[in-house]
Amino acid sequence: MAGGGSLGPAEKVKRGKNSKRKKKKRIGFHLDMTPLVDITFLLLTFFMFTTTMLKPQIMEMRIPPERYENIEVKASELLTIFLRGDGKLFWCAGIPDATNNKPELITLDKIKALSIEKNLKPAVRNRLIISFTVSIDAPYENVISVLDQLNQAETPITEEIGKELDKDGHPTKRARKFTIVEMKDADVKLLEGL
Amino acid sequence: MPKVRKKRMGFVIDMTPLVDITFLLLTFLMFTAKFKSEAENEQQFVIIRPTASADTTKLPERDLAVINVAIDDKTRDTSYYFGLTNINDQKQVWSMIPDLPPALLDKKLVKADSLLLAKFIKYTLQVRPSTKFAMDADKRVRFKYINDAMNIMRKSHAFVFNFVTEKKKS
Repeated sequence: MAGGGSLGPAEKVKRGKNSKRKKKKRIGFHLDMTPLVDITFLLLTFFMFTTTMLKPQIMEMRIPPERYENIEVKASELLTIFLRGDGKLFWCAGIPDATNNKPELITLDKIKALSIEKNLKPAVRNRLIISFTVSIDAPYENVISVLDQLNQAETPITEEIGKELDKDGHPTKRARKFTIVEMKDADVKLLEGL
Repeated sequence: MPKVRKKRMGFVIDMTPLVDITFLLLTFLMFTAKFKSEAENEQQFVIIRPTASADTTKLPERDLAVINVAIDDKTRDTSYYFGLTNINDQKQVWSMIPDLPPALLDKKLVKADSLLLAKFIKYTLQVRPSTKFAMDADKRVRFKYINDAMNIMRKSHAFVFNFVTEKKKS
């Protein structure tokens, strides 16, 4: 601590016209902000370089419980999309067959349009089952791309189907039927050479 | 009469708006920053996520079970890793698993084969049935690993899960 002193009135410096002391101009107090700003900038640059603004997003999947009995579905309501080990895509409506109903080659950007077209076909409207058959050797990246395309197709399909009213006057609910399955040997043979 | 000479003062820049903005940015970034979890710190791999179109659903942070399907940085092997975001659940689940090596008890992320993964999922659902599952897989892995994991989940009665993706850059 700095040395104090008695504060008696006797020691009071005489001020006024006779005072010889020079009057100092009051300028308030001065605070040096430089170190504060230095640290702030340092922290700011640190956080700016370390933050990632991109948060991962999710794609929900539901897997059905195990069933031992087979469920029969109409062949006309079935649409199969194949993803071969080399990443090539094929599609086929109904039961695929090597002679009469050969799977056709399709590119990724056409999947969305295919799904919209087939789902809204009057004969199978809102009843279509999409079976996504994937080879175990296919890269996961391609699987997600196809799922993404199919998800994107859902918005226009749901909108279109919602325009129709059911008997109570409510918009029809979209019943999406989708399954992802592992490619069997028979499918591999079917796609060979295509 | 002599001219009054003004004292030279140099020039003065008002730093106030600059400092204002800096503080604002600093506080924003400090509050939004999330530090690496212990599980992420332990991991020996980097997951390159597949990209999907923009979606508003974000990965939940609470009570999440993450199944990583990743390629090890050194051995280049694909394997499963299991982790839970809820620390209390994680301790409970880890302790419930019979014959889990003691060295793994402290680990937040455990490398698991199919058998161990099935046990992890089963006990996680026992401890907290509302746990959400997320499959965070590297885009380079083969579908076989994803399919196997889905079959394990099906057998363990975890019927709903999420694929973790990243937003596609337009």
